[in-house]
Amino acid sequence: MTVSTESTAPAEADANDTTPAGRHRFGAAWLAAVLVFGLLVGLAIGLLGPRLTTPGDDSVEAGFLRDMSTHHAQAVEMSMIAHAGSTDPEVISLSADIALTQHGQIGYMQAWLRDWHLSPTASTPPMTWMKDSAGSVQNGLMPGMATPAQLADLRKATGKALDVQYLTLMRQHHLGGIHMAQEILEESDNADVTWLAESQVRNQQGEINLIDSMLKKIQAT
Amino acid sequence: MSTPGPERVPSTVKVDKTSGQGKPPAKSAGAKSAGARSGTRPGARPQGKGGKGRKPTAPVTVKGSRNWGPIAVAGVVVLIAVGIIGYGVFASIKGTESWQDKAAGIEGVVNYRAQNNPAINAQDHKEGPLTYVTNPPVGGAHNARWQNCMGDVYAQPIANEHAVHSLEHGAVWVTYKQGLAADQVAKLQEKVQGRDYMLMSPIANLDKNISLQAWGYQLKVDNADDKRIDQFIQALRLNASLEPNAACSSGNTSTGPLQAAAPPAGN
Repeated sequence: MTVSTESTAPAEADANDTTPAGRHRFGAAWLAAVLVFGLLVGLAIGLLGPRLTTPGDDSVEAGFLRDMSTHHAQAVEMSMIAHAGSTDPEVISLSADIALTQHGQIGYMQAWLRDWHLSPTASTPPMTWMKDSAGSVQNGLMPGMATPAQLADLRKATGKALDVQYLTLMRQHHLGGIHMAQEILEESDNADVTWLAESQVRNQQGEINLIDSMLKKIQAT
Repeated sequence: MSTPGPERVPSTVKVDKTSGQGKPPAKSAGAKSAGARSGTRPGARPQGKGGKGRKPTAPVTVKGSRNWGPIAVAGVVVLIAVGIIGYGVFASIKGTESWQDKAAGIEGVVNYRAQNNPAINAQDHKEGPLTYVTNPPVGGAHNARWQNCMGDVYAQPIANEHAVHSLEHGAVWVTYKQGLAADQVAKLQEKVQGRDYMLMSPIANLDKNISLQAWGYQLKVDNADDKRIDQFIQALRLNASLEPNAACSSGNTSTGPLQAAAPPAGN
């Protein structure tokens, strides 16, 4: 293998063949190393990038998704009670709409937390992610949420009382939800989260208007 | 390496081939194979014709039968890259420790899933009173109705058959010995109320003051101040669900033993 050492011009003839090749080899090794390095760095960025660019465990987004999941779950609970117990077609329809929509949205929110490799539930008290939220949580309940006593009454109610109680509780619930959604719109620029929060503000505001007209109609009877 | 190949080609090829960087057209094939075997480069300097004296140091390293220099460099580079990736993977895995690992890290927690006990793993819906292999139960066949677990705090014992169904949906069931001091009960209640996928009830014949259940997991403690209670809830609430996105609402809200007949709708 050894052809020559530090030979000079005289070796020209022979060396001519080996010299470029030797350089080539050196260049090829470098090239390979750089390519491999580049590939590995690219892989590392690809692997780590999502971790660095998705919201973290203590982000406002994660806090919002966890809290809104719980908040939504109670809207589903109340709506299912009304849906099963009401005899008013409008209430039956609205409660189905709310229950299905909000349960579906819980799926979105939980799936994002899962995508981000975050716990589905918070390790901190509710509303911690929200600025100036001190005092907004009563007995573990976020703004707008019905108390256990109100839910117990709702379960017992029938007829017009059920409809009025449900619509009143749901109106309150939506107001609390809108408040939270508006807050995340101010604090986050995550495309998914703001997309959902924006729709919540818009749709729940619309439903509040509908609830107001329904309450007026029902109470007039 | 530092100059684009094409520019160099002329000097390389035509002049005296000593600086053969960018593929001398005709010779490249032969040169390459030759070089592959004899990695020697005798005085590669004589060019000096504006062919850009390449790296004066490079030839020096090449003296043995094998061109170890570049190999070593490449090796180091690869090692560094692997190290970077290894660290990244380690950090990201560590940062997102699985809930199973978190649960396993809680002192005193019993993982019944690991036992592969068919009586605990069963998910069938069965009517009527059922017997369970642990007290309180952590899994197994259960009633078709789940106990409402929307942060419900039940003041009286509830039916195991309903509660086990709640565990299947991802709830953490907090139980305490009936007659536990009121301040202890109040502390437990604070951890439950307002939180979905949580429910709480007393149990008559409990061997410890407090017992926490998720599907296939149990932790028994003596005091409501025990830090492990929060750890258990944080690790297993919702995570232990066997039915992703199954609800805790629309469940049974009455207390007492299992009722023979199905409870009225909307209850």
